Amino acid sequence: MNLEQVFGYFEYEFMQRALISALVVGLCAPAVGVFLVQKRLALIGDGLGHIALTGVAIGFLTGAAPLWTTLAVTVAASVVMELLRSHSKTSGDVALAMMFYGGIAGGVYLTGIASDKGVANLQQYLFGSLLTAGWSEVWTIVVGGAVVAALMLVLRPWLTAICADEQYARVSGLPVGALNLLLLVTTAVTVSVSMRAVGLLLVSALLVIPVVTVQQFTRSFKATMFAAMGAGLLIAGTGVLASAAKDVPPGSTIVLIGVAVFVATALLAAVVGRLRRTRRGHLPPEGEPLEVELPAKA
Amino acid sequence: MPVLNVHGATVSYGGRAVVRGADLAVAPGEAVALMGANGSGKSTLIKAVAGLVPLAGGTIELFGTPRKRFRDWKRVGYVPQRTGAASGVPSTAAEVVSQGRLAHRLIGLPARRADREAVARSLAEVGLADHAHCSVDTLSGGQQQRVLIARALATDPDLLIMDEPTVGVDAETQAALAEVVAARIDAGCAVLLVTHELGPLTDRLDRAVVLADGRVVHDGAPPRPVGEHADPGHEHVHPHPSPHPLPKLDGAAPRISFGNAGGGTDADTWDGR
Repeated sequence: MNLEQVFGYFEYEFMQRALISALVVGLCAPAVGVFLVQKRLALIGDGLGHIALTGVAIGFLTGAAPLWTTLAVTVAASVVMELLRSHSKTSGDVALAMMFYGGIAGGVYLTGIASDKGVANLQQYLFGSLLTAGWSEVWTIVVGGAVVAALMLVLRPWLTAICADEQYARVSGLPVGALNLLLLVTTAVTVSVSMRAVGLLLVSALLVIPVVTVQQFTRSFKATMFAAMGAGLLIAGTGVLASAAKDVPPGSTIVLIGVAVFVATALLAAVVGRLRRTRRGHLPPEGEPLEVELPAKA
Repeated sequence: MPVLNVHGATVSYGGRAVVRGADLAVAPGEAVALMGANGSGKSTLIKAVAGLVPLAGGTIELFGTPRKRFRDWKRVGYVPQRTGAASGVPSTAAEVVSQGRLAHRLIGLPARRADREAVARSLAEVGLADHAHCSVDTLSGGQQQRVLIARALATDPDLLIMDEPTVGVDAETQAALAEVVAARIDAGCAVLLVTHELGPLTDRLDRAVVLADGRVVHDGAPPRPVGEHADPGHEHVHPHPSPHPLPKLDGAAPRISFGNAGGGTDADTWDGR
């Protein structure tokens, strides 16, 4: 398998569509994911994706376009989750567990009811089908991705503040509730818009993997955000090329490459960290003085 | 007009009143300590002032406006009880401090020159100018605490609220922070400081309010250190045995237990038991 042959695949429109969708999701998902990782909600993309399956099934059942039912259900779920988190003692953890189990069960149950209508199965949405997506789906992803990335870039300082220290953000008078909601709704939109083409597995992985990969080397939030977007783009592009070369599903290839890159950089970071500790950019923390009375020698 | 006026504040957690009818006023430019033992309700009262916990009764006014209608939060600098400045994703000290300028910025607009200057200035004030571009999770605990104080100073507050800012901070840093805060007091900033120990920061206090069991039990002159801590040259550092390992206690002033081996009866310490 030579490179010319691989690039030859991209004369086919379905390959171009696959590449564009993957690149857009690879670029935009980490822009949202960096805030989710900051807020320690790295799994929320997956949670919303499970809820999205219920939305897809509602689409099958009612005959409406699954994209819109999915969007409605995930946005509603993110609103409910934010209300649960802010107005009750339920932790984000418990709310996530409910979403995982309830969402996937609802999806399977409703698809079972709808199965006699002979429509597509859930698997297509779980793992995506980059190669069968039409141009209209690609454009939805491009427009949605551009809106999401623009919002995240413009609101970065405010979203960082609510994700890093919510109490402080409240005391600075920021609209914490509205910003939290915006972040969750943006996540919901990202997941549901890209799910049909790239799959739930891929989009939730691309929310998190590029961020945790690059943050081993970065010092600032800004650098982490931009580097993660770049890493997402690279991982997604490489994944599509590799899957074309090996004739395997692109979604899983991209995720596996992401995981491999993460493991490799984690090992590298451990080595680099050890080297850097001997000559660091600023003085190491000073030892705190011994604030005790040493017993006088008798 | 006081910058902060708390009247009959009651706060309960799950039906249990933690703060019970507390009164507290801070005049412009005044430095007040809120003291008391663990569980006396001092942190809860501060959180109620900052709007982080709801009031069950009483009123809180900030700059003459009831707290619920108060929107001018850029006049308030807040240092939360120590949690560390680090979080899930690396952030530089300058990025954390710039959160203190968000109250001055219109949402969605980039930082202006004044914002960047305020960030640089407050980092320099706490002595971390050289560390502006270091990731906060590589800083020591005391340095992280200084970053959080710089964040509160960056708002250019008229009221600085600090919730135990010096817990776990070494004596040298405490003295440096005391100078920074004293400079702000001289510039006319009011300070409300929650603390349960006397230290360099408490030297500049105008007044102390002492809470016990959610009620105000003392409002007046700040308590003074006794024993060896009253020595002006005392630095609260004991790298070697003190020449006077068991200082005499005079018991006249109200005293806070420093846990030193001098002892004395427990009845005259605020920790109480």
